[in-house]
Amino acid sequence: MTGFAARSKVAVVGCAQSPIVKHHDRPLGALAVDVAREAIADAGLTVADVDGFTTSALLPTAGDHPVVDGVSTVSANWLAANLGADPSYVTGFQGYGQLPGAVALAVNALMSGAADHVLVHRALHNPAGRYHGSAQQQARGAAQWTMPQGYFGPIAMIGLPTNEYFQRYGATREDLGAVVVEARKNGARLPWSHWHGSPLDLDEYLAAPLLADPICRFDCDRPVDGVAAFVLTTAERARDLPNRPVYVTAYAGAQPSRHRLPLHWPLDDIAEVGAATARQLWERSGLGADDVDLPQVYDGFSPFVWFWLEALGYCPVGEAHRFVSGGGIDSDVLGALPALSGGGALGSGRMHGVPQMLECYLQLAGRAGDRQREGARVGIACQASPHFGGAVMYSSEVM
Amino acid sequence: MPVPDEVSAPFWEAAADGRLVLARCSRCETFVHPPEPVCPHCHHTDPRFAFEPAPTTGVVRSWTVIRQSFLPGFNVPFTLLDVALDGLDDLRLIGRLAPEGREPPEHIGEPVHVVFEVPAGGGPAVPSFVLSEP
Repeated sequence: MTGFAARSKVAVVGCAQSPIVKHHDRPLGALAVDVAREAIADAGLTVADVDGFTTSALLPTAGDHPVVDGVSTVSANWLAANLGADPSYVTGFQGYGQLPGAVALAVNALMSGAADHVLVHRALHNPAGRYHGSAQQQARGAAQWTMPQGYFGPIAMIGLPTNEYFQRYGATREDLGAVVVEARKNGARLPWSHWHGSPLDLDEYLAAPLLADPICRFDCDRPVDGVAAFVLTTAERARDLPNRPVYVTAYAGAQPSRHRLPLHWPLDDIAEVGAATARQLWERSGLGADDVDLPQVYDGFSPFVWFWLEALGYCPVGEAHRFVSGGGIDSDVLGALPALSGGGALGSGRMHGVPQMLECYLQLAGRAGDRQREGARVGIACQASPHFGGAVMYSSEVM
Repeated sequence: MPVPDEVSAPFWEAAADGRLVLARCSRCETFVHPPEPVCPHCHHTDPRFAFEPAPTTGVVRSWTVIRQSFLPGFNVPFTLLDVALDGLDDLRLIGRLAPEGREPPEHIGEPVHVVFEVPAGGGPAVPSFVLSEP
């Protein structure tokens, strides 16, 4: 493989986000068009300037809900058509690590010249009824190997590696609770968050009944309706736009891991393939963990925070729970690693990587208002599990 | 309940007889679970999987107690085990801990063996695990 040619050649130049709520009173598509228009205006552009659209339209549910474009999901094509744009590049990312994947597509389009200004959006919908529930009685195809045993859905999926971590490294519910309390503390300060003004203390966490040991509902991000959009362009064009550019330093995506049963993520698979994801990010960026001020780790389930901290090398494998419980990611402590300063998914709502990217953008563009962290230069926005998702590194400077 | 297909039918037929058989690639002779169109080990595109008797002992790699089920036909709580079968290079099965109501294991690494159970909701027998006596 030759060197990564896109380092610092593309920049985020504007963004917008809807409020994150349990259910919006408008169709998701209408909300997405409004947010897209707002992001384009924020970047100092008009719809006519935007000729690229990327997203991942995946509806994040394992339940029985139908997928309707413009209602329960918003594809790049639907958004471009309904904005009245005249695009030259429209595509969607297939796979997990949806937002890093969509950003990577945008970077590639800008580097190739397929587009000059790309809108990257993510629209998340919370269907009415039980999110993951299934009335399915018959297990066909891959499901026949796990569903008849009662192994079904993401909560059981995350229960197994989390308990494996507990048993191997001596972690406790108090340690997992420390992750959630930190995320909710930061999310409570965000006016757009579902959890605005609503921090969680450790006693409330510990009082919650377990769903799949050792996971309780507070370990799972809350399904929401919400849309975010970011505008990306070349570093050259970014110079003429009103906001301070935030450069994409590098992106990385997880490579295939060992063949397993559906939704089976043994802890060693997560650690081994996750470390390779991180290596790819360091190789492409030319930077290392110590150069990063804001590693915004993913937290759709709380144990992902440990897995990412270890994959990125902030703690030895098996130590992240002690690191977090000891205040290692406390956003209010000078010198700690503010890994959930943007509230994450646990503190914002199930926005699938948006809180991580938004925090990188706002902080590095100097637009974080009274939450602005002085001197922050480099951030990482992670999504999904380190062995299954991806990450993008951002910088306030050309690196 | 499982719906056997042309690939998996031998697995479910053997399960009904209380026997564990797993797919073995006829090209590289590696046991793989579940079988796929391409052998995940040697990547042969015509792996001609044969279901052969597999080890019925293993060790617990993890477990979780399911306290809220998202599927019909399951009484909660029940314990799911992640088991590495002996001698198969970290090949894993996920199954219920039997008998129902049994306390979960105390440690990773506890030995288990395969038994077949008919689920509470009915349907064909599925492989489950019991903790082996020390």
